[in-house]
Amino acid sequence: MTDTAQVSAGDSNEARSERRRLRSLDTRRSVVWGEKIARGVITVGGLMVIVAVFGIMIFLFRVVSPLLSSGEVLGETTYRAPVSGQVLWVNGDEFQTMGISVDDGGEALVFHIPTGTEIARQDMGFDATATAVSGTIGRDQIAVGFEDGSVRFASLAVSATATRPAQLPSDLQRLSDRDRTSGGRVFTQVQTGDFRTLSAEITVGEPEQISERPIVAVDYRTGGTAERPTISFATVDADNIVRVSRSRIQRNMMTGEETVRTSTVELPALPLEGDVQVTDLLLSGSADRAIVGTSDGRLHRYDLRNIDAPILAESLRATPDGVAISALTFLGGEQSLVVGGSDGSLGIWFRIQRAGARGTDGFELVQSRSHQAMPAAVIDLTEAQRDKSFAATDMDGNVWLVHSTSDQVLFEFARSTAEGQPSPAQSMIFPRGDGILLMSETGAVEAWQFRANHAEVTLRVLFGQIWYEGYGGPEYIWQSTAGTDLAEPKYSLVPLVFGTFKAAFYAMLFAAPIALMAAIYTSEFVDRRVRATVKPMMEMMESLPTVVLGFVAALVLAPLVEEWIGAVLLGFFALPTGLMLGAFLWQMLPVQQALRFDGFPKFVLMAVTIIVTAWVAYNLGTPFEWLLFYGDFKAWTTGRIGTGTPFMFLILLPVSYLALGWTFRRTLGHHWRALIGDRDRAQAGRLDVLRWLAMLAAAMLLSFALASMLTLIGYDPRGGFIDSYQQRNALVVGFVMAFAVIPNIYTLAEDALNAVPGHLRAASLACGATPWQTAILVVLPTAMSGVFSAVMMGFGRAVGETMIVVMAAGNTPIMEWNIFSGLRTLSANIAIELPEAVKDGTNYRVLFLAALTLFIMTFVINTLAELIRQRFRKRAFQL
Amino acid sequence: MSVSNDQDIPASGAAGLAGVAAREATGGGRRVRRFSADLSAVGEPALWAFGGALALGIILISGFLFMIAWNGMTTFWPKPIEQVELRDGTVLAGVATRGGPYRVGEDVLLTLDDAQRAEIEGELGIASRTLYKTANFDLYGDDFRWVSDFEVASLSQPDDFWYFERQVWGVFIGRIAGLTVGGEPREMDRALLAREHTAARERFAQMRRLEQREIGAINHRIERERLAQRRAVLRHGEGSPQSQAAIEAAQASIAELQAEFQTLQAQVNEIRATDRQYRIQMEEVGGRVVDIELSQIVRLFPSNDLSLGQKIGIYFSRWWEFISTEPREANTQGGVLPAIFGTVAMTLLMVVFVAPFGVITALYLREYAKQGRITSLVRISVNNLAGVPSIVYGVFGLGFFAYTMGGSIDQLFYAENLPNPTFGKGGILWASLTLALLTVPVVIVATEEALSAVPRSMREGSLACGASKWQTIRYIVLPKAMPGIMTGMILAMARGAGEVAPLMLVGVVKLAPALPIDGFYPFVHLDRSFMHLGFHIFDVGFQSRNSEAGKPMVFVTTLLLLALIVTMNATAIIIRNRLKRKYADGQF
Repeated sequence: MTDTAQVSAGDSNEARSERRRLRSLDTRRSVVWGEKIARGVITVGGLMVIVAVFGIMIFLFRVVSPLLSSGEVLGETTYRAPVSGQVLWVNGDEFQTMGISVDDGGEALVFHIPTGTEIARQDMGFDATATAVSGTIGRDQIAVGFEDGSVRFASLAVSATATRPAQLPSDLQRLSDRDRTSGGRVFTQVQTGDFRTLSAEITVGEPEQISERPIVAVDYRTGGTAERPTISFATVDADNIVRVSRSRIQRNMMTGEETVRTSTVELPALPLEGDVQVTDLLLSGSADRAIVGTSDGRLHRYDLRNIDAPILAESLRATPDGVAISALTFLGGEQSLVVGGSDGSLGIWFRIQRAGARGTDGFELVQSRSHQAMPAAVIDLTEAQRDKSFAATDMDGNVWLVHSTSDQVLFEFARSTAEGQPSPAQSMIFPRGDGILLMSETGAVEAWQFRANHAEVTLRVLFGQIWYEGYGGPEYIWQSTAGTDLAEPKYSLVPLVFGTFKAAFYAMLFAAPIALMAAIYTSEFVDRRVRATVKPMMEMMESLPTVVLGFVAALVLAPLVEEWIGAVLLGFFALPTGLMLGAFLWQMLPVQQALRFDGFPKFVLMAVTIIVTAWVAYNLGTPFEWLLFYGDFKAWTTGRIGTGTPFMFLILLPVSYLALGWTFRRTLGHHWRALIGDRDRAQAGRLDVLRWLAMLAAAMLLSFALASMLTLIGYDPRGGFIDSYQQRNALVVGFVMAFAVIPNIYTLAEDALNAVPGHLRAASLACGATPWQTAILVVLPTAMSGVFSAVMMGFGRAVGETMIVVMAAGNTPIMEWNIFSGLRTLSANIAIELPEAVKDGTNYRVLFLAALTLFIMTFVINTLAELIRQRFRKRAFQL
Repeated sequence: MSVSNDQDIPASGAAGLAGVAAREATGGGRRVRRFSADLSAVGEPALWAFGGALALGIILISGFLFMIAWNGMTTFWPKPIEQVELRDGTVLAGVATRGGPYRVGEDVLLTLDDAQRAEIEGELGIASRTLYKTANFDLYGDDFRWVSDFEVASLSQPDDFWYFERQVWGVFIGRIAGLTVGGEPREMDRALLAREHTAARERFAQMRRLEQREIGAINHRIERERLAQRRAVLRHGEGSPQSQAAIEAAQASIAELQAEFQTLQAQVNEIRATDRQYRIQMEEVGGRVVDIELSQIVRLFPSNDLSLGQKIGIYFSRWWEFISTEPREANTQGGVLPAIFGTVAMTLLMVVFVAPFGVITALYLREYAKQGRITSLVRISVNNLAGVPSIVYGVFGLGFFAYTMGGSIDQLFYAENLPNPTFGKGGILWASLTLALLTVPVVIVATEEALSAVPRSMREGSLACGASKWQTIRYIVLPKAMPGIMTGMILAMARGAGEVAPLMLVGVVKLAPALPIDGFYPFVHLDRSFMHLGFHIFDVGFQSRNSEAGKPMVFVTTLLLLALIVTMNATAIIIRNRLKRKYADGQF
């Protein structure tokens, strides 16, 4: 400053001061940059978090979406294989590389599936013309029936080994980009650098004479253990005589020689009329039942459990009049029978056991579903080896891949029409379920490669009823994994959604009344000091880890409740009654005392009342159980003893009490008020307690009368919302989950009530309303939407709660409202199954769908609640 | 009607009564019927129902906390061993754990004599019983036995019963039949026993150190050499000169390490041979004798012959064992150090992620974004994300973090380890990221609240003085909002520490052999699975061989977890209350 004063030259002075002013207005560059960087970082960071948060939903969607996408066809190959006779059987390996066909002259051709190049040829040395061939589910073991009535076994195995690059033979010939061949073997390089080496092993057994007449149909199964395999096969000859043979292979330990002993049983004759022919024959793996299909559309089922006395258990018509059964197959696991008709129909039949069944063995075949019909007669059916799909071929050259459980046609292929009318063909689904190989009698080969994405899941499977194998009818079932590979996975989310709502419902049954009443009391009737200690305490409760609650529920509470169920039931009635009693006794206090002890002492008295009542209920639990439930509530719930009256009496008690109270108020209330209005408080209180006791007694009588009447009508709650008792049940879960939800609802509801402007209260009180009237008639209606949103938020939390349910709910995915049975929720199901689920497998994606469902459900509930709350807030501020 | 209610807004139900009473009083001689006690207007029964609900809530939570605290605190207190003689002549010894009345089954009733049956029937089929921890699982096949009162012939507490906590097989209860010191049988002598036990435990610790630390280190180095080989092969191709050289180098150092391993193993064997000479013979109440090394006994004491000081000593030594050692016996015994470590490490890591992102988002929403329909929608969404079930975050964490991101990291950086996943499975990094996502709404909401609580006048003052927006935020808003942000952070930590469901999917395990931080390069292993107190509760309570045996442990773990969370919450609440007061006073 002193500098400026000393400058004498006016001109330069002005210029300098001008410059200084400019300089001082310049923001430092670092500040500008800091500002820019901060803005950039914060904007990008903030947006990133928001994007990330929505990314969750998008990611879940992306994982789930392949579930419902249809499969894709990857390729098609058509060529003619150099066969010499009529092809009867074809087999291919799981890598879709090497195929083996067998023709009626006994020549086995080994060919390269992608190109049709011949790799090897072997004469199997048949003595007669082969007429029928059948194989095991793996298709590598076959039984061949001959014109002369004999049967021979053969093996068409493809074995896979690994060869190091250094050990490759030198005379490799190129088959395709991928495959090389040499000396009847095929080499394919795999990821590790080694070569997968495939070679065919074809062996033929000795002939067994079964019949004098040509064999027209045969079916072949293997069973038993690896050391003592049993093989069985069924044959039908040209006279329609069905025989079942069992062979036992015994291996001599010393010489290694195998001896085959075959015993053949002729089954009871089929009741065939006229020129009806047997069209197909099926035998189960353990050879305990055989099924025969005929040209008049009938199914005949033999029960072979006692092989020495086979019986024809049932015969029934499986197709409409004039429609023949043209093909039969079992689906993997041999529970479902696929019946193909000459009209193109595809029916699925189950053998189920039920009282009054048609079959003489107590079982009967029932049609569980019929798939979309093919355009022409079904001529070939072949089952997939690892799931419940099958390939069906019809006369017009359509080849369909159908998934049975999900009832959908996955792929529709058409055979090439280059040869005119397609001839009968043999087809197979490759073991990995990723391709179909079809070979016509004349050697025309067609192969399709495809990827069936999660074929077992459709919207109907997820949310509808499906008739699964082994069940008596369509049901909602969740059972994603089972003991065996061939069991049908059952992916209905309905039982889980049901369990979720059941748990949330019972939780809200406890939580909502307690939390709301506590919130109203805290907001309207206690002074600020009590409120300041009570509210943080409830908030603390909110942050209790649910794993702790779950542990207490399952290991402490559940056994206690089971042991003391009588006391618990009594407690539900004793607690309100005890509090009422306290209230009516309080009314009898003279005004001065009532005023002096109002507030905290009264609150303590309430707490003491609760503790005393609980103690009384604990002690009277057993007599109570004797009085109403014959001393054993758990036995009563199963329905073995007693009637439904006592429980209905309990249920109807509060209802009757409320109904009586309402009636009393509407009819006699005025007179009663006039009557007690004249007296002083103590006297009025005494009269009122008498009235209350009388009403209680009347309610008990009424409710008992109603319950007895219901029993007379024949209504029994057992089997409905009451059923047999399990230790980990909805009652315990509901109670403990209420514990987790109460603080949520309480805090939000209390905030809403508190936000009601004070002048409303003041006005109401000034008009002469009591605080009770003010709270119920003024404050609560104003805060109603806020309170409602609090309940919804609580519900949202109950829906997503995981640990309590995992630990205390028993996790049985059943659908019943029974409060004494367990349940499985969406969240618990995820926690239990996801750690074991294979990445990108069907179960994995279905579990992601469960998570997405939960996400959307809670998000919608919470958003609605939030919108309601905001509207309420706006209104509250306007008041 | 001359009464005017000149009080404040009445806060309690009695104020209404007061009004009524006052009116009655001032009505004087002119009693007006209308003003007298209209009981239905006061709504006393409903008031009691409402108050009762609040009282019930408070009773439940206090009862719950008390039960946890009581069970947790008393678990480690040494309890007397009772010798129970039953009427059928069986003698058993055990510690009474709990008891109570129960319903006697029909089949049991049939075995009783008439007098007993009459007595039980008089009580409506209820009798009382006690659960004894008889221990000696290796001999009895069970740890516990229920004894009904009517079965008991006599009870006593003999002084010579000892309580042995073993390294394996759990607890043993019995007498000391003999000692073997240096291979020589010796007379039982408490001083000698104490001395030899201390020495044996030292040997045990030494063996353990050699086996776990030193041999573990060698194994770790061998594994690293193996991976180096594989990396060379992957990078240069099989059979190339580089990879050959690398393989040779690795083989050489593996051979070296093997030799080192042999020496260490020899040392361990030597100690073990000595250790076998110091043994104790324990005799259970039925007379069977178990002979084990002294070093296999963690702690032993004569339960019925302890002074108060000794009891306190045992109590605290058990607590110390609990918080400072690793679990044993399928987590039902020993300590929870790895679980404490895992919980704390995971929570801290979570805070590292959640703090900057939460605060930045809140700053963006409150200070930078244009306030409009979109922002309020975003705000609602963020708010509601706090209500999305935690398991959903777990599913996302597993699918996105572990499988998608982790899978890519493995392909890029840990190809030599494939197909064994390094980051492509659950681990502490993914777990804390998942929990960060789970708790970020909590932080955002709390921070926003804190930011909006900063008075507008302060901002305007700052801006008027020429500060830029960022400067205002940096020097005025954030410091002022800091306590509120801290509150949000602590609440987030409390929530994160207590969550178990998502962790079950993203990396928590029942027993983690290695901690996420150790002495091997690179020292911090974010890919490792970890243990967690909450999951420990779930695991011990539900997946151990005998949940009854694990129960005390579960209670103590629960107490620890609750203490951790309640402390955090209480801190947050205190900070918040203080903050409220500060703002209430310090308005501009």
